[in-house]
Amino acid sequence: MNFINSLISNAAFLAQAVTDVPDPVVPDPVVPASAVSVGAWTSSMLLPIVLGAVGYLLIQHGVVKSRALFAAGVVSIVIAIGVAMGFTPGTFESYVLMLFCAIATGGGVGFLTAREPVYAALGFATAVLSVCGVLFMQSALFIAAATMIVYAGATIIIFLFVLMFAQQAELRTYDVQLNNPFVAATIGAILLATIAMCVTGDKAMLPVRADTTRAMSEASLPDELSSDAGREAAKKMDAIDPNLRYVPKLTAGLGRSMYTDYLLAVELAGTVLLVATIGAIALAQRTTETQA
Amino acid sequence: MNETLTQNLLVFGGVLFAIGMVGFLTRRSIILMFLSLEMMLSGVSVNLIAFSRHHQNYQGQILAVMVLTIAACEAAIALALVVSLYRRKATLDVAVWDDLSETLLPKVLEAPQTLGEPEMIFPKLTPAGLDPMSRPISADFEAQSLGNGETLKANAPEAGTHA
Repeated sequence: MNFINSLISNAAFLAQAVTDVPDPVVPDPVVPASAVSVGAWTSSMLLPIVLGAVGYLLIQHGVVKSRALFAAGVVSIVIAIGVAMGFTPGTFESYVLMLFCAIATGGGVGFLTAREPVYAALGFATAVLSVCGVLFMQSALFIAAATMIVYAGATIIIFLFVLMFAQQAELRTYDVQLNNPFVAATIGAILLATIAMCVTGDKAMLPVRADTTRAMSEASLPDELSSDAGREAAKKMDAIDPNLRYVPKLTAGLGRSMYTDYLLAVELAGTVLLVATIGAIALAQRTTETQA
Repeated sequence: MNETLTQNLLVFGGVLFAIGMVGFLTRRSIILMFLSLEMMLSGVSVNLIAFSRHHQNYQGQILAVMVLTIAACEAAIALALVVSLYRRKATLDVAVWDDLSETLLPKVLEAPQTLGEPEMIFPKLTPAGLDPMSRPISADFEAQSLGNGETLKANAPEAGTHA
């Protein structure tokens, strides 16, 4: 009886301890007053979307030669970059970021409009490498490097290999005659307009708030906040400039968080990779056996 | 300023996603459809990284690592499938594999599209007589040409153009 009582009391104590876990020490979020009402949605943002959809349809229906439209697109992108640089004062970093975004969008457009599949794959490679540049500018160094290795190093090469294995010299009908370009362009334009409207709308972006709903190890906090001295320094810097944020920029922090907070997810990802490898080998082997 | 950057990156990710979706809906080559999928995934990665920077933690980056892993698995499986499908029917058209889907749907008939002028290479020989490409030579060719002189005259400049 004593044992059971002690067990119950222990359980109650444990439950209370679980529920009373002190919140991970997170500094009070400092929300600048001007953080929310930036970048309101205007209907003039519909113009490039509609123009892009119309240009895509013109190319797909063969009305306009793709080279003329390509030149027009390059000129319009250059003009847009000039206008954006004129209207938004930015740093050199933001200009590099915009350049990467423009190159990635151009590669995507080339991927959409190219008739030859090899050119489409090269446009995709351009887009993905520029996306790696964007990620690099966002201080996601590990993601940028991994994307570059996995996409550009492995995926594109294998895709090109399969393309050259399966592609004949001349264009096939299924390369040229596409499925419902008008419907697809309409859906894409509506989707893009909706995304832009939701994202850039007024009060669309929530202010920055650290996630306190779940207990996390200190490794997932920014590195400056994982010690008392760092927290004090962070508060001092917040008092000086509220816009100064603590960007997770160390790859070591990412690794620590990945192998402490998200260890199960990492193990599951490894398992999925193993299963995919076995599946790919099995798929490739079965066909050779049936043919032999 | 940071919100504006995040919003711009979200719009950029949306642009990549829309491009990938339009490509997936319109392309008919299996490989290019998979490339469109990868394009959509890269747009998602841009969104995740933007939110990771916006919220100052590593959760978005870790989710991007997972997306990358799944994309690599998908590429491996997809390419093995593409190679085995190509070995069976020797084409990359997805319409060939329509019988794997619902059979009750009406089939869309397509007219074969010609790519401009077909290239025909003629041998450069000395033109003589009738052009066999314009009109098949009948068995009574001699009698016809002797009896009707207009056929010879009509075919003469046509034969000369091939020289």
